[in-house]
Amino acid sequence: MNRQELNNFIEKEKEKLAEKGSKAQIRVCCGAGCLSSGAEELMNSLKEEIKAGNIDAEIIPTGCMGPCNQGPLVKFDPGNTIYQKLETGDVAPLLNSHLLEKTPVTEKLLFADSRENPSLNADEDPYFKKQLRIALKDCGHLDPEKIEDYLLLNGYQALDKALFAMAPEDVISEIKQSRLRGRGGAGYPTGLKWESVYRYVNDQKYVICNGDEGDPGAFMDRSLLEGNPHRILEGMALAAYAIGASKGFAYIRGEYPLAIKRFETAIKQARKLGLLGKNILGSEFHFDVEVRIGAGAFVCGEETALIASIEGKKGNPRPRPPYPAEAGLWGKPTLINNVETYAAIAPIINNGGEWYSEIGTAKSAGTKVFALAGKINNAGLIEVPMGTTLREVVYDIGGGIQGGGKFKAAQTGGPSGGCIPEEHLDVKMDYESLVNLGSIMGSGGLIVMDESSDMVDVARYFMEFCMDESCGKCVPCRVGTKMMHDLLQKICQDNATRIDLERLEELAEYVKETSLCGLGSSAPNPLLSTLRHFREEYENRVRETSPKHNVVD
Amino acid sequence: MNIIEININGNAIKADAGQTILEVCRQNDIEILTMCHMDGISDVGACRLCLVQIEGSNKLMPACTTKVMPNMAITTTNERIKKYQKITTELLHAERNHTCAVCVANGHCELQDMTAKLEITHIRYPHLFPDCDMDTSHPWYIMDHNRCIMCTRCVRVCKEVEGAHNWDVMGRGHEVRIISDYHTPWGESETCTSCGKCLHACPVGAIWPKAISQGQLVKNPGMINDLVEKRKMNL
Amino acid sequence: MMNAAFLKMINVIVEEFSHSYLVPSFLTLFMKSSVAGDWVTQHAKDPRVKLVAAKMKKENYRPDALIEILHTAQNAFGHLPLPILHFIGKGLKLPGSRVYSTVTFYHFFSLKSKGEHTCLVCTGTACYVKGAQAILNELEDKLGLKIGEVTKDNKLGVQAARCIGACGLAPAVVLDDEVHGKVLPADVLAMIHEKTNAHEQAGTE
Repeated sequence: MNRQELNNFIEKEKEKLAEKGSKAQIRVCCGAGCLSSGAEELMNSLKEEIKAGNIDAEIIPTGCMGPCNQGPLVKFDPGNTIYQKLETGDVAPLLNSHLLEKTPVTEKLLFADSRENPSLNADEDPYFKKQLRIALKDCGHLDPEKIEDYLLLNGYQALDKALFAMAPEDVISEIKQSRLRGRGGAGYPTGLKWESVYRYVNDQKYVICNGDEGDPGAFMDRSLLEGNPHRILEGMALAAYAIGASKGFAYIRGEYPLAIKRFETAIKQARKLGLLGKNILGSEFHFDVEVRIGAGAFVCGEETALIASIEGKKGNPRPRPPYPAEAGLWGKPTLINNVETYAAIAPIINNGGEWYSEIGTAKSAGTKVFALAGKINNAGLIEVPMGTTLREVVYDIGGGIQGGGKFKAAQTGGPSGGCIPEEHLDVKMDYESLVNLGSIMGSGGLIVMDESSDMVDVARYFMEFCMDESCGKCVPCRVGTKMMHDLLQKICQDNATRIDLERLEELAEYVKETSLCGLGSSAPNPLLSTLRHFREEYENRVRETSPKHNVVD
Repeated sequence: MNIIEININGNAIKADAGQTILEVCRQNDIEILTMCHMDGISDVGACRLCLVQIEGSNKLMPACTTKVMPNMAITTTNERIKKYQKITTELLHAERNHTCAVCVANGHCELQDMTAKLEITHIRYPHLFPDCDMDTSHPWYIMDHNRCIMCTRCVRVCKEVEGAHNWDVMGRGHEVRIISDYHTPWGESETCTSCGKCLHACPVGAIWPKAISQGQLVKNPGMINDLVEKRKMNL
Repeated sequence: MMNAAFLKMINVIVEEFSHSYLVPSFLTLFMKSSVAGDWVTQHAKDPRVKLVAAKMKKENYRPDALIEILHTAQNAFGHLPLPILHFIGKGLKLPGSRVYSTVTFYHFFSLKSKGEHTCLVCTGTACYVKGAQAILNELEDKLGLKIGEVTKDNKLGVQAARCIGACGLAPAVVLDDEVHGKVLPADVLAMIHEKTNAHEQAGTE
């Protein structure tokens, strides 16, 4: 399909939509969270009821709406009314009341169990009001398995704009102007990365989407891939156009079968409409994408390990330089970005880099998706401008601590990150501020802990994770993480002495400074940050000297 | 040849732009400690003993895989680097079962030499003594995983020089082990040519010929590079 | 390649000397047989073997498709039996050690059967904070199964996942591909019993 044919196709879809008029739309959240709380049975029973009652309504399965804890969720449009925790028995009365009698069922509204006056329009609830959804914008609204839905919401318009009105250099300068930084964790400026791949001259370059979301407690990439796969695909195509690549790979975790299925569907649909393949939209640009399924190795989130894995090898990282921009997949210049980074590309091209750069803080522009979990009332997926304080995230959006407990710490950045204690609740969430506190932004997992959490055990938990996930190539990571884990275990079992604690601190510094890749050099972070903010918990559990051993130092 | 000027430990040195820091240092008699490096095979940067400090970078870089750049200022040793080298060596000792007095390689072992060189007198970490076995199935050779330090020199020499690819590394993390074929006994290998290059490549007493006992093992890792050079010359 | 006559001769020599200390044991070096060949000829009609063969053909026997092919094989067999690894190694012309090292590196691949039914306990951070360990303890207490173990009758296997991304529903378990969120240890046991009718203390493999 060329440009004109696609426009005609979209016009036809618009006409179809207009014909439907003000027909009620019932959106059923089919994110992984809601599916496991019974969204599928709910949708079937909605379909049956509508058929039986001859109700004029359309049922649309969507991606994640956000408040996963309240699932399964159903949204009624027009009106943007979300109902929560629905069971199949609720369906008939709900349809009857909301659609026929036009009276909402107050006790089933979103957050009806925690707020006095739950909002009829979900966007007015503090949970959504404080958020700014750019990456997640259409997630939870469109049917992720229909390319038509995405096209009707201005989908692939950014690609069209880039192909016919912008040179690759213009796309790169727009991204640079947006000040977008990599959302995978390290926060490297995306525009600069693109530019460096662009500069290497080679007849074959590659674009890779890193969907190997390995951090425990993070599910942003999963929700984006499941909720709006075409947005990621468009972002990849734009990146390929900018750097001059003709082939892309989406590396998705094997643990996410639904994301893999939906992304593969999206690729097929895009190929059919000529949005992938040869001469895209009639232009000179060729690009195609393949899915690669991860096989359960956290280290494959590291870019050189991910490349090795796509090449069919073990995910062993290799020393950099050379960086993938110079010699990546099969030795060719390769661009690797995270899923969430690609999700921000199309809006930036559509609205301009300046628009995006005005959101957020001076050094961290734009918005960030966080996955709220742990001892928090409104666990789920949120997107806020950079620079929003942790307090706003935990209390205003997250609804505070579960069971009315006391906030103790928030863990960000997973096994590479750290814990933020209560006295820093007013920290602005951006790359630099979190690093200053000894944590990192990471991919966006945010786990809230209350007074019942043992911080030494938290450090041990993450060290165990790193120990198991270490690839075993370099000595500091292979043996160092094992030693640190054993020492932490010793402290947890109240068998440690002060000398053990000193050794632990020495090893932490050593592993951080000498490891080959990011997994090893960030593995001591949870330990170092808990030592920094909760040192007394360690001190209280070590004996001054060991009565049994005569320790040499 | 593209000659560039770099600075090592305060001295101006001329080098070829394609060389690694390690190559330049060896040419100029500047000491760099190594364990996983061996002349004649590729480098992996795994042992972290050759880490050097490069001005302007807060990360330590492995000398074996980092190429020299014009005006690079390199410090090859300082207190910080020495401290880390000591810890690395101690960790290698603690990882498996290294007791020099009972080892075939006693007196001819790179780990032993390293330990003496770094003036290590005690291992401050608890020995892990993992459950490793000994593979005695090969008619001529023995592979003792208890003494292996996972430098992967045997894997690389088998793959790159002999071309047999009998060895590889299985598992991950601290549970990695060297394997022959499908984790099958070495003696049943379908790929091993019994050439013996891995014996010479092994820096410690993990692979040795059957007829040898304590302290009798003498290796010649230099022969691997000679072999590679001779092949290049195509005499 | 060794011809049959030569092999026969070696066999004779080995037999002759088998009582002597001076067995020319190096001769066993020439007596290797192929594991993959026999097994595949025996199982050539197995649709699962055919599936793997078709996948290798589709991927043009490219060595870099190894992981894709291993995924196919594991989906077909439930785990990766050794002869199939030999089969894949031969097909892609990859050294056996390389195939085996790749399989053991990735936790998704399993050399042993995972059991007819699987109970996968998520041990991600959110689940850990909310009591995943209690579930694992219960499974060990009541069924005698630790992570990675399978009951003697191969009915049930217990595994742990690093994070299944259902953190909003912590703690979560996956029973035969169905995700169950906000579960208590007793719920998990009840669901398992329903699935397997497994007897308590069924014993481990």
